[in-house]
Amino acid sequence: MVLKIFFPRCCNMADSGLLVGRWIPGQDSAVVLAVIHYPFIPGQVKKYLSELHSQTQVDLTILGSWSFSKDSQKDMDEFLKDLSTIFSHSRWLQLSREPGKKGFACEVVHKNGHAAGDEEHEIIFVHYDQRKVMLSQLHPVQENGADVKSSELRAVFHTVSQSEPLFLFDKYDDGPLKLTHWQSDGREASILVELIKQASVPVCMLLTLLVGYRTEQFQTVFSTSKATTHMEFMRKANIFVSFFVDTALGLLLISWLYRENRISYLANTLVPAADHVAKELQNLLEWLMGAPAGLKMNRALDEVLGKFFLYHIHLWISYIRLMSPFIEMILWYVGLSACLGLTFALSVLSDIVALLTFHIYCFYVYGARLYCLKIYGLSSLWRLFRGKKWNVLRQRVDSCSYDLDQLFLGTLLFTILLFLLPTTALYYLVFTLLRLVVVTFQGLIHLSVDFINSFPLFALGLRICRPYRLAEGVKFCVLHEEPGAPLHLLMECYRTETSSCSSRDSWLTLVKKLFVGELIYPWRQKSTKTD
Amino acid sequence: MGQKRRGNIRSPVSTPSDTHSSSEIPPDKNSSSTSSCHGYLQSGKHSICMVSDFFYPNMGGVESHIYQLSQCLIERGHKVVIVTHAYGERRGVRYLTNGLKVYYLPLQVMYNQSTATTCFHSLPLLRCVFVRERITVVHAHSSFSSMAHDALFHAKTMGLNTMFTDHSLFGFADLSSVLTNKLLTVSLCDTNHIVCVSYTSKENTVLRAALDPYIVSVIPNAVDPTDFTPDPGRRDDNKITIVVVSRLVYRKGIDLLGGIIPELCAKYPDLCFLIGGEGPKRLVLEEVREKYQLHERVRLLGALDHKDVRDVLVQGHIFLNTSLTEAFCMAIVEGASCGLQVVSTRVGGIPEVLPDELVTLCEPTVSSLCDGLEKVITRQREGKVPPPAAIHRQVQHLYTWRNVAERTEKVYDQACRQPVLPLPARLRRLRSHCGAVAGSIFSFVAVINFLFLLFLQWLYPSHLIDVAMDATGPGSHWGHGFGKEESKYTDAVRHDVADRRRFKCKK
Amino acid sequence: MAEQEEFTDINGNPIQFSCQDFSPFCREFTVSSSKLSLLRVLMFTCTVWLLAYTGFYLTQNTAVLSAAIMVTLLGMLLHIHFVKVDHETLLIVGSLGVQLSSAYASGRESTTFIEMSRIKDIVINEAIHMQRIIYYLCILLKDHTEPDGVSSVVPLFQSSKPRLNCLVQVYRSCQEIIGQTP
Repeated sequence: MVLKIFFPRCCNMADSGLLVGRWIPGQDSAVVLAVIHYPFIPGQVKKYLSELHSQTQVDLTILGSWSFSKDSQKDMDEFLKDLSTIFSHSRWLQLSREPGKKGFACEVVHKNGHAAGDEEHEIIFVHYDQRKVMLSQLHPVQENGADVKSSELRAVFHTVSQSEPLFLFDKYDDGPLKLTHWQSDGREASILVELIKQASVPVCMLLTLLVGYRTEQFQTVFSTSKATTHMEFMRKANIFVSFFVDTALGLLLISWLYRENRISYLANTLVPAADHVAKELQNLLEWLMGAPAGLKMNRALDEVLGKFFLYHIHLWISYIRLMSPFIEMILWYVGLSACLGLTFALSVLSDIVALLTFHIYCFYVYGARLYCLKIYGLSSLWRLFRGKKWNVLRQRVDSCSYDLDQLFLGTLLFTILLFLLPTTALYYLVFTLLRLVVVTFQGLIHLSVDFINSFPLFALGLRICRPYRLAEGVKFCVLHEEPGAPLHLLMECYRTETSSCSSRDSWLTLVKKLFVGELIYPWRQKSTKTD
Repeated sequence: MGQKRRGNIRSPVSTPSDTHSSSEIPPDKNSSSTSSCHGYLQSGKHSICMVSDFFYPNMGGVESHIYQLSQCLIERGHKVVIVTHAYGERRGVRYLTNGLKVYYLPLQVMYNQSTATTCFHSLPLLRCVFVRERITVVHAHSSFSSMAHDALFHAKTMGLNTMFTDHSLFGFADLSSVLTNKLLTVSLCDTNHIVCVSYTSKENTVLRAALDPYIVSVIPNAVDPTDFTPDPGRRDDNKITIVVVSRLVYRKGIDLLGGIIPELCAKYPDLCFLIGGEGPKRLVLEEVREKYQLHERVRLLGALDHKDVRDVLVQGHIFLNTSLTEAFCMAIVEGASCGLQVVSTRVGGIPEVLPDELVTLCEPTVSSLCDGLEKVITRQREGKVPPPAAIHRQVQHLYTWRNVAERTEKVYDQACRQPVLPLPARLRRLRSHCGAVAGSIFSFVAVINFLFLLFLQWLYPSHLIDVAMDATGPGSHWGHGFGKEESKYTDAVRHDVADRRRFKCKK
Repeated sequence: MAEQEEFTDINGNPIQFSCQDFSPFCREFTVSSSKLSLLRVLMFTCTVWLLAYTGFYLTQNTAVLSAAIMVTLLGMLLHIHFVKVDHETLLIVGSLGVQLSSAYASGRESTTFIEMSRIKDIVINEAIHMQRIIYYLCILLKDHTEPDGVSSVVPLFQSSKPRLNCLVQVYRSCQEIIGQTP
């Protein structure tokens, strides 16, 4: 059997004492958490451990003894033997280190007292950095308890993270026991962070009351319960940071917008621009009603469609004229909303664009409906041509024998539809192109909003300042080999770059939709654009 | 990277690869002809590579032919490797029962499970397979498979002996068959030996490919009689059931079936149809069923697994085959083996398959088939038909895979004795045999292929290709604890295991 | 114990293979591929610069030349940082797990550790790779839902691709260690 001992690096140079830790159930491995120094009262140690047990639900025990001394090796040996009788155990580890040597010596004593033979136990020391393991959040064990049993490393990480209260005292504190563990090397500043986190709960509640929108996001951020898992914590932190950045950017925008009378300037350019667009559309329609690009259209249908759309443009222009005196005021109030964040302002901008291009949307919908209807009619008449029909009940194409009258009428309709198709298709094409321009612009706005909302700023900050908190796995390297001595491995946390890839296969569906004449919208478009 | 493979190389394997590659030179030389054949194994065993586009998980006659033949050849001590194209997620190297190794190569499928061909792009992979498996004979199957033709072409360029089995009949009249026949001529003109499944098929192939009839042998297909045993208890004798088991495609005459069903159902109220199989023509049958309200009497079972076929067959009294063209009809043998009365169209090789007293042959028209069926139905009613067990006994020994394997082995021996034409002779042969235009074009292609091979030999020299461990054949590593992980893959082909066991008992 | 023998990768380039025994149940295998050859770097630079010079000759725009220099430098940096693998190591510790790491020419290292409880077996496998069929070594991972299943396959020595004789050596010693700890 191979016995694995996970040993914290900070205890390498600790004075002699007792090893506090835990045997991982089911595995032949022990985690050493801290060293209790002499002198101590055994009863107090036992009491302390049972207190910890009730607090953390981790069954901490005394694993064995640790000796790192320069003198009186012989006396110590006797003393350690005696110690093993005091504490209840099934196996007792005797670790010892001599000052000059790098390796440890280890002896395993069984309950019945004699030292175990060498052939029975091979020993691996795995040295770990307690501080990093503690903070690396590499222990998402809460969700799947079944995994803890199967995975040994998980269990180790779990043990270390659960026994947090053990690390509250150390050898510099005035207490009954003197301990050496990671906090002995100097306190971690993240304790402060924890304090801030705890203080932030009431602040969050206050904010929730103040800010009514973005409820979903804020429910996750401001839920008063503490983040239980690492993932959740990261998400919260990211949303929080991006919210602040967003608001800051929005305030910057306001300060730029309300200086030097920029609002009225904007309003004065907006109305003529909308007018100009309407004029251009009118020209386009007139061009379409003639012989566009030398194509010969069906004159009657062309006239009807053209006049219909021209009337719409007239309506639109009068609507704009009606609105023009109020536009500056509207803009002024709308501009205020930027204090809620840059994303809010951008969304409002997107809505304004949608309102100002309402006529284009209307044209597009009429064109698409007409075109869709024709395509649909043509396809079903084409089936009639081949003596088939669509069976609605069974969702398949059946063969069917038609009467002569039916066939005659169907053929007549088919030819009419077929010859009128180019005219409708042209109108549809032109208006779809216009619509696509608008949709692309709106899509870009949505994309930037999404980007601001979902950019993992907090994670990026952590990556730069404290990479080990985003650890991804562990890495072992062989420390040093001395013949005869047990093997020593060093366990480190590491992280690698995560790469993301986005698939864009939905472009095909978009093209298909355009061909068949289904309506397209920016929000559906958005889902195709942002991965 | 490719797919995971099932078996793994266990420690007890005696020093691998080194000994092989030093003592044996892989047959990757263009110059020598017959030497490579005898160089592989002095024991007279062959290292065979079966190539076809059609193999499991695709189902059909060619697929099961290749599989069964390979299994019997493995049993006879040859080494067999199968090469086919990737089927969906099934790519890479797989092992089937008894260490039958299958390469699913990632080649693009063009139409109807047949790969696209450019004459060249499959050369690197096929060369790799031929070299690492130390192949001596390349055996291609089915003239529909472009991969088989490619493999023949490359094998000839690499100087390996080649064989071809034709499984289908073709016309001569329309444009597509003219083109395919030309390609077949080119492909077969320097192939060492050709096998056909029936005399009709042989005649057809010889005419189409303008071949010397002496290099064409006839080896019929076979069925596993132990798998198709009659079980009269499963029938419902209150009514008469007609069973049809085939793919529902045009070639199988499903339109004829669609004409037969309403006519006979109107005449005989106690007649039922049981139709197994799947295909584009299923619609025809469904429409017939709906139009004449025959839902209770015409049952469509959909796609059947090979192991379920017998259970369907034994439920019927009459087996109906309406094929429009067929080189050798395995289905009617299976039907007869289950003790059914067989009614079939008289097309292709079908008349050769069964003795006259076991089958009723009709012309491929609705009226003729109806007449034939009526005759059989009256006989069935009067009880004049022989009992199923008698029919089974009669068919039992007609076609066995063991026999097929023995005959194929002889063909291999013969093919290996023949020389492989070196490039100049091959070019002359192409020019003289295939006409001036096509001959010149394909001579050019052959030269380019040869140059491509030289380039590949320079790029990846043969000595850098690791010789594969033999799972089958004389140096087989396929031990006892080895095939345990295979169970998952043998579902489709499990019926074969019983066959093997029986053979062992006989020995 | 370190042994040296002549090994090549599947393209015939020599590779160094070494096996270090730390203890009976801990072994480290290192496969180092050949170093970045000066000839190839020179050829790459020459082609880029020749192209750039042609572009410069045609357009008379000096930006082309500076862009070429940037491209060469950037290309080389990216190559040694992301593509060129200097050596790959496989550290197998009985009852603890297997660690795979590959060191890039720039010194960047990427590591994966697989616990023994997740490993089903280590096997030699065949795969189709770039118009060839090669042998490679891989770790089969256990499927927790299905006792006999394999959930995924982790290929080893992916960039150096040693030939079969080298793989067999690694395979044997891995099996020794895995066999010790059931």
